[in-house]
Formats: sequence, C-alpha cells, structure tokens
Amino acid sequence: MKTGLTRLLPYILILLVTLALVWIDKPFWIQLAIGVAITAITALAWDILSRTGQVSLGSAAFFGVGSYTLAIFEPLIGLTLAWIAVVVVCALAATLLGLLTLRLRRMYFAIATLGFALSMQVLVVVFPDWTGGSGGIAPPVLADGDPRWQLALIGLLLLAAVALSDALLGLRFRPAFFMIRTKPELAAASGVPVVRMKIFAFIVSGVLIGLAGACYGGLYGYVVPTDVFTTNWSVLPLAIATLGGMDTTVGPLLGAIALKALEEVARSVIGGTGYQVVYGAVIILFVIGMPQGIVGLLRKAGTLAGRRTAAGEKKKERERHA
Amino acid sequence: METTLLAQSLLLALTTAGLYAAIASGLTLEFGVTGIINFAHGEFVMLGAFLTYFLYEAAGVPPLAGMLLAGLAMTALSWLVFDGFLSRVLKQDEHNQILATIGLSILLINLAMIAWTPDARVMHAPPLLPALHLGDVIVPGNNLVVLLVGIALYAGMIWFMRHTRQGLLLRLAADDPQLAVLAGVDVTRMFRLSFLIGGLTAGVSGGLVALILYVQPLVGVDLVMRAFAIVALGGLGSIGGALIGAVLLSAAENLTATFVPGGGSWGYGVAFVIIVLVLVVRPTGLFGSERRA
Repeated sequence: MKTGLTRLLPYILILLVTLALVWIDKPFWIQLAIGVAITAITALAWDILSRTGQVSLGSAAFFGVGSYTLAIFEPLIGLTLAWIAVVVVCALAATLLGLLTLRLRRMYFAIATLGFALSMQVLVVVFPDWTGGSGGIAPPVLADGDPRWQLALIGLLLLAAVALSDALLGLRFRPAFFMIRTKPELAAASGVPVVRMKIFAFIVSGVLIGLAGACYGGLYGYVVPTDVFTTNWSVLPLAIATLGGMDTTVGPLLGAIALKALEEVARSVIGGTGYQVVYGAVIILFVIGMPQGIVGLLRKAGTLAGRRTAAGEKKKERERHA
Repeated sequence: METTLLAQSLLLALTTAGLYAAIASGLTLEFGVTGIINFAHGEFVMLGAFLTYFLYEAAGVPPLAGMLLAGLAMTALSWLVFDGFLSRVLKQDEHNQILATIGLSILLINLAMIAWTPDARVMHAPPLLPALHLGDVIVPGNNLVVLLVGIALYAGMIWFMRHTRQGLLLRLAADDPQLAVLAGVDVTRMFRLSFLIGGLTAGVSGGLVALILYVQPLVGVDLVMRAFAIVALGGLGSIGGALIGAVLLSAAENLTATFVPGGGSWGYGVAFVIIVLVLVVRPTGLFGSERRA
C-alpha cells in the first residue's frame, strides 16, 4: 500500500515547482510550466472520464466552450459570475453529451464525441454575432497579464485536478468506476447507479477541461476557433494519459511533462511547421514498446527491484542458517 | 432557374459521392474486419494525392496511370504499417487502438508538411473527359472521371467480397473471428488483407482528389471526417451502407452550400450533425449490425 508521504508527493512537487518558478521569474520556464499544467489538467480530466469506460475524443469541445463562455459572459455579468458560468455551461454540455452517448460503446463513443467537438467548432463559425465567427473572440486576460500570477492560478487549478483525480481513485469511487467500465451489467446488478456515475464522471471531466480552456484563453486574451476547438485538444489528453499511464494521477502528470519537453526540443530542431511529427513518432513507439505507459514501466521496474531485494533477503537468511 | 441550380447541385453531389464512397468503403471494411477505426485512412488518401500530383508534374505520368501507381504504393505502405505495428495493437485496449492510428495520422501529416510545406497545390492536368452538357446543366469532365473511377472501386470491392474465396474468408473473419479460427482461417492474414484493400482504395482515391480538389497535407483530415459521417450513417462495417451514406451526405452538403445563405461553411457541419444524430438515434447506422457495438 502507498504510504501517506508518496501520496502527498505530487502535491508537494507541484507547489514547490510553481513557487520556485514564480520566485525565479524566467519567462521561458514560466511559459513552459503553464503549457505543461494546462495539458496535464486536460489529461487528468480525460483519464477520470475514461475510468468509467468512456474513451472520449471530444475534449476540445469543452476546452473551446470554456474559453468562449468566459469571453461571452464577462461583458454581460462581470468576471466572477462569468467564471461560474464557465462551470455551469460546461457541466450542462457534459450532461447533454453524456446522456446522448450513454448507450454508445467503444469506437462508436469515440466517433460520436469527435463529431460533437467538431460540431461545436462549426456552431461558433455559423453564429458570428455572438461568437465573433472565425475572427475569434477576446476573453478577459488572466491575472492582468502577469505570467507569474497566471502560473500561480493555473497551478492551483492543477492541484484541484490532482485532488479530484485522487479522490475518484479512492475507495468510494474506484470500484464503482472500474466495474462500470469492465462489466456494466454486473455494476447495475450490484446496485451501482451506472447512469448517474457515468454522467458524474462526464461533468467532473468536462468542467475541468472547460476551466483549463478558459485559463488558456485568458493567457493572451484572444482566441480563434481553430485554436481552441482544434482536434489537437482532443488527442493530446488521450495521448498524454496513455503515455503516462492510465487510471493513475501521476501518469498524466509525467506524460504532460515528457511530451511538452519533447515538443520544445522538436520545435527548436524542426521549426514551427511539422514539429508535431514527434507526437506521432512517440505515440507509435509507446504503443509498441510500453503499452502500459511510463507508470506501468516504473511499476515493472519496482516489482523487479522488490523481487531482487526479497531474493537477496532469502539468500542472506539461508547463509545465516548454513 | 431554380430547377437548373438544383439539378446542377445534385449532379455535382453525385460525382463527389463516388469519391466519398470509395474512401468510406475502405474505412468501413477495415473496421468491419479488425474492429479498429483507421484514423490514418485519410492520410493514405493524402499521400496518394501527392504521389499522383508529383508523378504528373515532375515525370509527365498521365493521371489515370498515376492513380494506379499511387494505389499500389499505398498497398505496400499499408503492408508495412500493418506488419510493423498495427498487428501488435490488435490485442491491446481500445484506447491504445485509437491512439495507434491517430499517432500514425499525426506522423504522416507532419512529415508531409516538412517535406512539401502546408501550402495547397493544384494539378494542372487537362480534363480526362469532355464536359457533359445536359441542357443547361454542365458536369466537368474530371468530375465524370471521379464518379466513374469511384463507382468502379466501390463495385470492385463489393464483387471481391461477394464472389471470391478471399472475400468469403474476409466476411467470415469479420462476422465471427473465433469461428474463423476454428475453421482454420488465418485471421491475422485476413486482417492484413483488409488493410491492403483499404490502402489500395485510399491510394487510388487520392488520385481522384488530385483531379478535382487541391493537394495539401491536411486534405485527408477533411475527407476522413466526412468518411466517418458516411460510415456512421451507413453502419460501421457495412460496405453496402457506405454508398448510400455517401450519396446522402454529399447531397445534403451540396444542397446546404447552394441554398442556405452562407451555407459554404455549413457544408462541413452537416457531416458532424449527421454523425452525432445517427449514432444517438440508431448507433448501428441504417444498415449496420448490432454485433460490434
């Protein structure tokens, strides 16, 4: 079993790194950390949803809806209420999509969520009076444009996402979620409220991604539909969670750090066009080489090391007896 | 005037439906047999388009021959991809299966961007057939070629599935893989065969894309999204449904583009609304079976 300290380690590390970066105030590292934190939040949210067997390709819908809701509501009802509106609208959208796709399984679910995300993008372009059309929209700038405070706020959101993910991996939810994924009929027969749990996971996931999207829009105070609704934001969470290790909290964190670091390297080597080639290459290599992700590999190494020490102890024991 | 517009719109829709049907039927065959949705299917079409384009512009190979060569090249690439890594993913979880072909898609798009820039190119080949005049309605010659080749590809695939021994085995592997194994069928071979056929049709379809559309790294994404809608409409795994789905989607798109004000940008939206609605109302599509759901 995990000890209390290892469970707290992610929180402590996130806090320390965020504080250190805010203190040191190097623009490059702050921007990199903001990028890592935002993608990590979306990946954690995606993973929470996937624990109920809902493998989504629709994260971009919530990412975009989050940033657009903040931008549309802020002039109407003020900043604080606009952030609440982000939560409400994303929760409603998640409930709607969750109910619509309730009966769909596997690939059908993936395709339907992908279709939903792309429909959202078209919706934005078709109603330019509200959304600014393809020209984009201006959400309020986060923390008056001070990158250090932006990082601090996004770091807090990441901590919240980590706490939620941990809570949903706790004894109260974990068995229900995983039973819904592997044997939905058995879950229903055992008294697990399958529909309510699935929608609940959808809402938690959708709201987290929406908040991340709203923060992203607030970084520069300007977003266009092709930026926040792009399929990238649907694929990235799936890729990061899978590469890092699904059904864990550390997995998406490690995955986000690894993939973002790699992206930076590729961007400086290849340049602005086509640098995402590393995503493709890494995904393929991971799927072939370590389908259980980074966490799976670490666990394997851990058990191997554990066995070795156990074997060593036994040997010593035998030597002592001899 | 209104009727001429309507007739013109519907006829053009019919020709693009030929292209859509060819692309979607390859996608749906691969899914029906292996249970994997090939998100990189559009990128095989894109590579086929570039190949046909370069063969014509640089070496003067006539587009029809270029198309065939592109088809063969994509068959070879599919073989490489299947044996190289897709065959290992078949037994893994669904998220890994989704991720595998998405990874391939991202890889191919970005390699194409690095090699050929993201700019759109147009193949300057003379029309392969004279334009067809039906009263006031004109159908450009290249659109006719697209319709004919698209239908030929589609019909060829149907014939192969219904009237050859390999086609029979493919259908068996798709319907009941366990029974197929018991009957002594090499299921992995059948999986590979479905990807080879998918690659062949994607490559040739790429040649058609070069004839009537532009050639650029992202062209496959546009097309494969429409193919998803068609496949959802016709039923995942149903080749017969793919043609009807293609005609319906193509007609819906062209009609909105022609008659709805500002409908040009809607054209794309029609496909996605169809995906969501059909999957929600009838997850197996109009002609699909319950089994894979």
